[in-house]
Amino acid sequence: MPALTFKNVSKNFGDHSVIKAFNADIHDGEFLVLLGPSGCGKSTLLRMIAGLSDITSGDLRFDGQIANDWEPKRRGVAFVFQTYALYPHMTVRENIAFPLIMDAFRKWYHLPVVNIIARHRLMRRSDIAERTLKMARQLELEPLLDRRPASLSGGQRQRVALARALVRDPSLYLLDEPLSNLDAKLRTQMRSEISALHNKVGKTFVYVTHDQVEAMTMASRIIIMDKGVVQQVDTPDNVYDNPANTFVAKFIGSPPMNLIPASVRPSGLMLSGEIAVEHREALPSRREAMFGIRPEKLELKPVGEGRLPARVAVIERLGAETVIGCRFITGKDDAGELLIEQDLVFVRVSGNPKMQIGEACSLDYRSEDVLWFDVDTGQRLS
Amino acid sequence: MLKVLRYLLIGLLVVLAGFPVYWMATTALSLNSELYGTGQVIWPQLQNLPELWRELGQVPIGLWLFNTLLIAAGGTVLSLTLGSLAGYALSRFRFHGKGLVGFLLFMTQVVPEALILVPLYAMFITFGLLNSLIGLVLANVGFSLPVACFVLKGAMDAVPYEIEESAIIDNCPRFSVLTMIILPLIMPSIAAAAVVAFFAGWNEFLFASTFLMDRGNWPASVGLASFVGQYETPMSAVMGAALVFSLPAVVFFLLIQRKIVAGLTAGAVKG
Repeated sequence: MPALTFKNVSKNFGDHSVIKAFNADIHDGEFLVLLGPSGCGKSTLLRMIAGLSDITSGDLRFDGQIANDWEPKRRGVAFVFQTYALYPHMTVRENIAFPLIMDAFRKWYHLPVVNIIARHRLMRRSDIAERTLKMARQLELEPLLDRRPASLSGGQRQRVALARALVRDPSLYLLDEPLSNLDAKLRTQMRSEISALHNKVGKTFVYVTHDQVEAMTMASRIIIMDKGVVQQVDTPDNVYDNPANTFVAKFIGSPPMNLIPASVRPSGLMLSGEIAVEHREALPSRREAMFGIRPEKLELKPVGEGRLPARVAVIERLGAETVIGCRFITGKDDAGELLIEQDLVFVRVSGNPKMQIGEACSLDYRSEDVLWFDVDTGQRLS
Repeated sequence: MLKVLRYLLIGLLVVLAGFPVYWMATTALSLNSELYGTGQVIWPQLQNLPELWRELGQVPIGLWLFNTLLIAAGGTVLSLTLGSLAGYALSRFRFHGKGLVGFLLFMTQVVPEALILVPLYAMFITFGLLNSLIGLVLANVGFSLPVACFVLKGAMDAVPYEIEESAIIDNCPRFSVLTMIILPLIMPSIAAAAVVAFFAGWNEFLFASTFLMDRGNWPASVGLASFVGQYETPMSAVMGAALVFSLPAVVFFLLIQRKIVAGLTAGAVKG
């Protein structure tokens, strides 16, 4: 089971830089999730680990050994492709068994015609047949074993792709958005199964996704990327509670962290340049900063009871909880004019409060729940 | 009404396509006296079959057909083998001069066969390939290989690259990726290329009549032409031989046309 080390790894396509000086350690046996928006370079990074894409500069080390030029076979990885990449001329059974058959192939079995005979013989070998069947059962594919990929649904194909990768005993599992095409129920089920599998085999998993729920629920650590640059490497809890910058703060969490421009005044804070707030604890040492607070840390109160006067603009009732989007009310608003902010300030409350759109309310918070970010760089201020 | 018109059109096309075969059969089963006399024989005269059999028995038509089969099958196998390797390289690898290779392959189709007859003759003498079926196979492959290469390259281009990468991850060596994954997926194109290469060899005449002197090495096309005499041409025998000559090719096409179907890569990747 290798530990992976990236040292200043970069990837360019012509003049276009996809990954810029990537540095990270992937520990032996951990479940690492590469998270980021589409086009941020996470799939490219996974392909570089698998040996399917060249590394432009820097070192990729497997257990301390530079592996930049290693063939995929030497790396001993299993890969689940986002596009399934099933063998359409083979049945589900043959697809799942293919890696096992290749492992059992002798050199001369690869000769044309001989390979057909060898494959048919190996398909019947008891250990290969049993492992194939076991994996098919685990992923509920047993009734589909003799069907071809063309006759399967998207979700079934994705499960076959997953089974093909998992049937082997590789040292490293690489999964490129493997659940992206499953329905919500199956996705939840597969999430648990992949996590269980990780716990069971104890191997290193590198998992690419743009779905933060998958990342938060499955990862032991998350690497958040944007435009080929690592934004933060940390545990899911820390990524959520202590985002390194405004990108992470906005990317993680649904709804994302509220980020409000703030001016620090001797009398307190001025939020959005309009709302004066009495707030003197744990203020940043600079005059202008970005005020960040998670929606569940904001308290929704009746008018006049909170420090931030607001009006309800959006209500999303989710059953167990409700997300309410508010706009701040300034002094001018009291005279009948509504100052429209660019973004809504979201509050998450449990249950189903009887609020109406347009209803006035107030918001409040605890000073220790506020995170401060640099206005220009977006970096977290200590 | 539209359906009737469609069937009428199909019927017309069937008649147009089938007429030469009908004419060939009718002529083959007519006596020469009937052919050169007045009045047209409309239907094939089956009672003349023993006469046709006797006439064809005077020439080694079986051997000629066997030679034709060797030339066509040898050329097909060689073209498909080399074409699939070359097509794979052109489809999947980037290398200097790739465009030039494609251009040169294309140029072989522009050069008329007659133009290279003399240089080829000189080369065949040098390499001892004159009057040999192997030489004829090689000469034919020179023309059918580029076609096979282009057809197979085009088909390989359409195979999603992820399937190949997936096989590589599954420990499948590059050669087996080609033989076990790619080639089965492009079977329709292989069948199409096989048809082109097979018929190029089956119909071969110019090279065969120039490079093969020995009567026993002739393919059926050259043998057929030898029926034409200075004073007389036995038309019924010519047509009979032509009919026999056509039949294996028709059988080959009927066998292989089932492979020419699209959509084998369906289900491979998302989308």
